[in-house]
Amino acid sequence: MFSDREILSVVEMLKNENLDVRTVTLGLNLLDCASDDVGRFRDNIYARITGAAKNLVKICDEVGDKYGIPVVNKRISVSPIAVAGAPFNARQMVKVAETLNEAAGAACVDFIGGFSALVEKGIARGDRALIEAMPEALTGTQRVCASVNVASTRAGINIDAVLLMGKTIKEAARLTADRDGLACAKLCVFANIPQDIPFMAGAYLGIGEADAVINVGVSGPGVVKKAIDRAVASNPDLNLGQISEIIKHTAYKVTRIGELIGREVAQRLGIKFGVVDLSLAPTPNVGDSVGEIFQSLGLASIGVPGSTVALALLNDAVKKGGAFASSKVGGLSGAFIPVSEDLNISQAAAQGHLSIEKLEAMTCVCSVGLDMVAIPGDTSEETLAAIIADEMAIGVINKKTTATRLIPVPGKKAGDHAFFGGLLGESIIMPVNNATGENRFLRRGGLIPSPIHSLVN
Amino acid sequence: MKKMIISVLGQDRPGIIAAVTHILFEQDCNIENVSQTILQNEFSGIFIVSVPEALSERDLHRHLDAGLSPMGLHVYEKGLSEINGSQTAVESEPFVVVTKGPDRKGLVASITAIMAAHRVNVTNLQAVFKGGDDPNANIMIYEVDIPSDANHQALRRDLREKAMALSLDISIQHKLIFEAINRV
Repeated sequence: MFSDREILSVVEMLKNENLDVRTVTLGLNLLDCASDDVGRFRDNIYARITGAAKNLVKICDEVGDKYGIPVVNKRISVSPIAVAGAPFNARQMVKVAETLNEAAGAACVDFIGGFSALVEKGIARGDRALIEAMPEALTGTQRVCASVNVASTRAGINIDAVLLMGKTIKEAARLTADRDGLACAKLCVFANIPQDIPFMAGAYLGIGEADAVINVGVSGPGVVKKAIDRAVASNPDLNLGQISEIIKHTAYKVTRIGELIGREVAQRLGIKFGVVDLSLAPTPNVGDSVGEIFQSLGLASIGVPGSTVALALLNDAVKKGGAFASSKVGGLSGAFIPVSEDLNISQAAAQGHLSIEKLEAMTCVCSVGLDMVAIPGDTSEETLAAIIADEMAIGVINKKTTATRLIPVPGKKAGDHAFFGGLLGESIIMPVNNATGENRFLRRGGLIPSPIHSLVN
Repeated sequence: MKKMIISVLGQDRPGIIAAVTHILFEQDCNIENVSQTILQNEFSGIFIVSVPEALSERDLHRHLDAGLSPMGLHVYEKGLSEINGSQTAVESEPFVVVTKGPDRKGLVASITAIMAAHRVNVTNLQAVFKGGDDPNANIMIYEVDIPSDANHQALRRDLREKAMALSLDISIQHKLIFEAINRV
């Protein structure tokens, strides 16, 4: 028996605040699909993916219906293709991407992640082939997402890989020039990539994972915002310690629901339950924005002075509430600040409140990094690589995940508008300040050694 | 030993439960279950007790009435029949149905008629009607068991249609959601 207050607060949360389970992601190990024959490899992975994911969407919808809480996205992550398909050349890797795309289509999922390589310490043959294939693979497919881990706290920063990614991103943008460089929106460059991210575009299934696993991404920026608004309305003098508690309690509730639904989906699919990723992931809809939370906290906009500390408070409170609510926490677990995917953040950029420099600072205290940032199309490969390397340094030194998803929009300059559509949203193109086009420091290449605090043994 | 169920009703005041249980103790009755609640200012209590074979229903009533009627309390009791297994063993899922909306006569009757038609069993009902049109002042919360073989979609549709006709905002949620959120 519940008290009426308990029941009414839950009903309110479900009804008016965009509470949902943001993603259920089926992780599939493809390593035993390996073959030196690309045709056989493609057949194997197609059969594996479509077989295992046959009921994914149906069961997610059934469980969502049962609880009245929709599982918004159903997705698939696979073993890094650079490893599973190590013998293949770039041309063959493009074909593999096409197969992944078809398999995702057959399973009715919108994205499949894992066209990925791990090159933080060195680039193997398969890695190089995969990276070389990325521009064409991401241009010719709709559902495939790619990621490359170029740095880690244990290994350091592979600047050769960073430079290669600068070049790859430019080429991907060029090939999708008619769609504002859309291919780049499906390509993340990481430091310290987790093995169990359920969110796209960074999802892949780590080498250390089992055959199949269900990872769940809970979100709920709208729920957090409303909880703050309600609390402040009833007590305008709340201090930040009290607000932190409110966010924590809210994150707890959201996470409990994610875990409940994720476990039931996993159980019905007969697949092991992996982790809950406690992230605030926005969509380009009013009321589902991380940026709006900054305003509820009392800032004029995300990006103004005070934004970094506000994000630190938010991120920490979400983790504390979520960690207690879930038995297994993983993935990125932190607030996302993707510019084009969050209406409010995108507006802040358009109004000049938010710069790339401030975004970079904010990534020190949250998960991901320079995410879905549209920049001028004439940004050079070396400047792109330099922005990536700066972001990687933040991750490596702070022992956390950072990533970039930069889109140099072909033919457009700062202040123009880029449109990606759907969940990827739209954004003003942000200026890259003080870039000369060349960067002699980075051009030296090599591996920046891992920091002293990586020597923990 | 035989079992009886006793209900006690009357205006709330300190000492009601003490008085009831003292009489039961004196008559060598053993209390198995008690549930009591206060609505506005009225006390209501239900007691399931095992009663010595020698004590008749009439005698028990006499003792209770003698002790409780001076306190303005009404007592009713009846023998407890064996539970009919076929009625309770229905496999079901627990849900919580909440409605909010303007007060009018017949709200509970309308909603529960639909539930009954779908063989839904109400296990707990809290309803507050302060009157008027403020939806937050007029709330019904039903905890129900819906048989697993019931037509959930038809039930939901019927409830929603009725709620709409009555200008009620209705929510039908699985109970596990409330447990996940409110219970550690």
